[in-house]
Amino acid sequence: MNRKSMREADELRRLAGPIEGNVIDELVDGEMDRSTFIKRASVAGLSFASIGTILEAFGHPGIAHAAVAAGKAGGRLRLGIIPGPARDLEPSAFADHGTLATGSICGEFLTRSRQNLTLAPELATSWKSNADGTQWAFNIRKGVKFANGQPLTAADVVATYKRLTDPNGGSSALSAFKGLLGPGGIKAVGDHTVVFYLQAASASFPYLTSNTTYQAIILPANYQMGTFSKTPQTTGPFVMTSYTPGVGAKFDRNPNWWNGPALLDGVDVTYYSDNAAVDAALLGGQLDLISQVNYSSDRPLFHNGNVVIFSTSGAPHRQIAMLVQTAAANPALKDYRVRQAIALAFDRDTAVKQLLGGYGDVGNDSPFAPVYPSTDKSVPQRHQDLAAAKKLLQQSGHGRGFSVTLTTEKFQEIPQLAQLLAANAKKIGVNIKLNIITSDAYYGGTYSGGATGRGTTPWLNSPMDITDWGHRSVPNVVLTSAVHSGGVWNEADYSSKVVDKAIADYEAALSLKDQRKYAKIIETQMLHDSPYIFPYFFKWTQAGSKRVKGFKADAIGTQALGKVSLG
Amino acid sequence: MSRFLLKRFGLAVITLFLLSVIVFAASQLLPGNLGRNILGPFASRQDVAQYNHAHGVDRPVVDQYWTWISHFVRGNLGQSLQYNVSVGSLLGPSLVNSLKLAALAFVLVVPISILGGVVAALRRGRATDRVITVVGLSLTSIPEFVTAIVFIVIFGVLLKWLPVGAAWPTGAGFFTQIKHLLLPSFALVAVLFGYIARITRAGMIEALDADYARTAYLKGLPAARVIFRHVLRNALLPTIAVIATQTGYLIGGLLVIEKLFNYNGIGQRIYVAAQNKDFTMLQSGVMIVGLVYLSATLVADILYSVLNPRIRYGGAD
Repeated sequence: MNRKSMREADELRRLAGPIEGNVIDELVDGEMDRSTFIKRASVAGLSFASIGTILEAFGHPGIAHAAVAAGKAGGRLRLGIIPGPARDLEPSAFADHGTLATGSICGEFLTRSRQNLTLAPELATSWKSNADGTQWAFNIRKGVKFANGQPLTAADVVATYKRLTDPNGGSSALSAFKGLLGPGGIKAVGDHTVVFYLQAASASFPYLTSNTTYQAIILPANYQMGTFSKTPQTTGPFVMTSYTPGVGAKFDRNPNWWNGPALLDGVDVTYYSDNAAVDAALLGGQLDLISQVNYSSDRPLFHNGNVVIFSTSGAPHRQIAMLVQTAAANPALKDYRVRQAIALAFDRDTAVKQLLGGYGDVGNDSPFAPVYPSTDKSVPQRHQDLAAAKKLLQQSGHGRGFSVTLTTEKFQEIPQLAQLLAANAKKIGVNIKLNIITSDAYYGGTYSGGATGRGTTPWLNSPMDITDWGHRSVPNVVLTSAVHSGGVWNEADYSSKVVDKAIADYEAALSLKDQRKYAKIIETQMLHDSPYIFPYFFKWTQAGSKRVKGFKADAIGTQALGKVSLG
Repeated sequence: MSRFLLKRFGLAVITLFLLSVIVFAASQLLPGNLGRNILGPFASRQDVAQYNHAHGVDRPVVDQYWTWISHFVRGNLGQSLQYNVSVGSLLGPSLVNSLKLAALAFVLVVPISILGGVVAALRRGRATDRVITVVGLSLTSIPEFVTAIVFIVIFGVLLKWLPVGAAWPTGAGFFTQIKHLLLPSFALVAVLFGYIARITRAGMIEALDADYARTAYLKGLPAARVIFRHVLRNALLPTIAVIATQTGYLIGGLLVIEKLFNYNGIGQRIYVAAQNKDFTMLQSGVMIVGLVYLSATLVADILYSVLNPRIRYGGAD
């Protein structure tokens, strides 16, 4: 440690806001390792230069600014997006892969969540919270121009976020901001600062301004709904020049990109609806990159010498829910020991290997995926243990086994997962009958009302089910909606006072140390109660040809192509 | 002749009317409430009602039907509920694409299979006949998605002779377009060849066995003249009827081929519309396919009557 960097670090500590200060203290106390520190400090709004200074001051290696090998300029990247947009291209209403992948080629966010879940500045250069994490101030980048020539100012950011949080504007981002941010809480201070006044404290709010909230593409204040695909008005590396619903889109290099210019001349997007067609197009040399591939449906691309798989750890997952108390619940499954037995009978290592081709992380029956910094990894991992499972069944009085029906959707590898679970359960005498229906039928029906208050939809009213869940940069949404007793997507109808309290504490916790403390309570209690089996967390995978250089997959599915080149 | 045509035309109009009623009724029967489908399960009841009102789906059914069909016949196909642009701007290019693929497949399959059928009939019972019949039947019985994938893997992925996608780059010329359409056309030829060749063969054999053919041979006409002037003309009547009925399939029923070759045809548009409950697109798409199908049948009827004097002079109907 040298004296100069020590002094600079001290200075930074003195200037830092309380959340940043917390993060720095935890590094000094040795409670946080280097990589976690980088992750957390970036969320709290410390710049990368400051993070490097602090690390060096406290005897850690600094941040190596690996020089990005400048790729060859030129060429048009041919991107296959599957499936194509199911709706009109309207950023605030993005809700499916096709729309968000298309919009992300030209659109940008305040911040960007990177592969290791660190947060990088994008249209915001820095951000900082007040003492209790209820106000976040973002400094907006200067010198940025929209494709229509207008300069970016705080007013544009305010208008964009008002649109996203407007309860009557058809925004798909409402659920992300619910209870946290309303249209009245967004204020511009001068031309280049925006302050978000939150309805509840949140240390992870900056994540919501990143590509994680893929609807949050910054648009001009005078943006007219319905014009996104007609007039170029984004700030990103490319400008959309044509769009045909169901067919494709074209993008040309934005000559005025603040971080540019992009290496590629442009991007040609083709929409696909069939996996065999998109796989053949890549193998036949008609595409350079596919927006998402899946081990179960795109097998020919995996372990193929001519194909590069771009992957990143994430939190998309499946939840095997066991109804614990509603009228529809199976009588045996009301006993936590039976639920534990089924979770112990399940062979999750085989599932990751066979169903995901190894592109996944084993789950531990709570939303805390290994990728999250707040996950307490000291909680023991659950593995298959048939002897223990049989013993638990015996203790519960179901030693002779019982039958239960599992309802799920025909989607990707889920039917195979259901079969694997049924085969495993058979080994302890539990007979799981499978009822595999279309996704439409599975999520169809009403979600509220009726005798149970849970409507008629199969996924909230089956004794056992398997549901697909998307990636989240923090586990909060899954905790509040699927685990909390008042959650709207609480498939298992799980209710635990201990967990409810720990979730509230977790959400309010500002330091990583505290978040881990509450995470441990949730993880341990959920392992005990076992309302859900979390079999695995997917890695996001995309496939491309060997020509594609500099591409980094994003677990949400946005396509950042500004620094990509064709070799 | 004109009476015959008028009658056929009248029947076509009645068929179209019935089709429009059926399509409209069927889309009304599709499960789900439009507003609920578009706005999602968490939308409030008021929002759903408001959406339905704005899109006119809460009006009486007959009223809705009249609005749709009266606009349709004037060429106004309405707004796509899914993409929020005019249905015509989406279905138009798709129909043109479908017609292009159908035309190429048609140009390839008709001569090849008629030739196959004629050769098989002339070589009846011999090895050539057997090869043509067996190969044709085998290809027809294999589903098109299997033949298409085999073609894609061999010619597109392994040999890289032909592009695997049927969609050509924007601004591509005539020959590039043909090149992109060859693989899907081959898959269609494989499906239809056995069928058409078999009908042609049967017709040929019947005609060859007929008295007039024997007479022609006996009076010393050269074989080629007998076949082209006397036999083919009679033998092709059933073939034309079969080809006409396949035209509807070639234009509206190529969903599987369009999906596999990622081709923006009308079949795929209708399929996606049905999936996403885009009623305006679905109804208009089906009606357009119905129109094309009936036009093809009408043309076949005219051709039939030209070749068959019994119909032309009102002897038989």
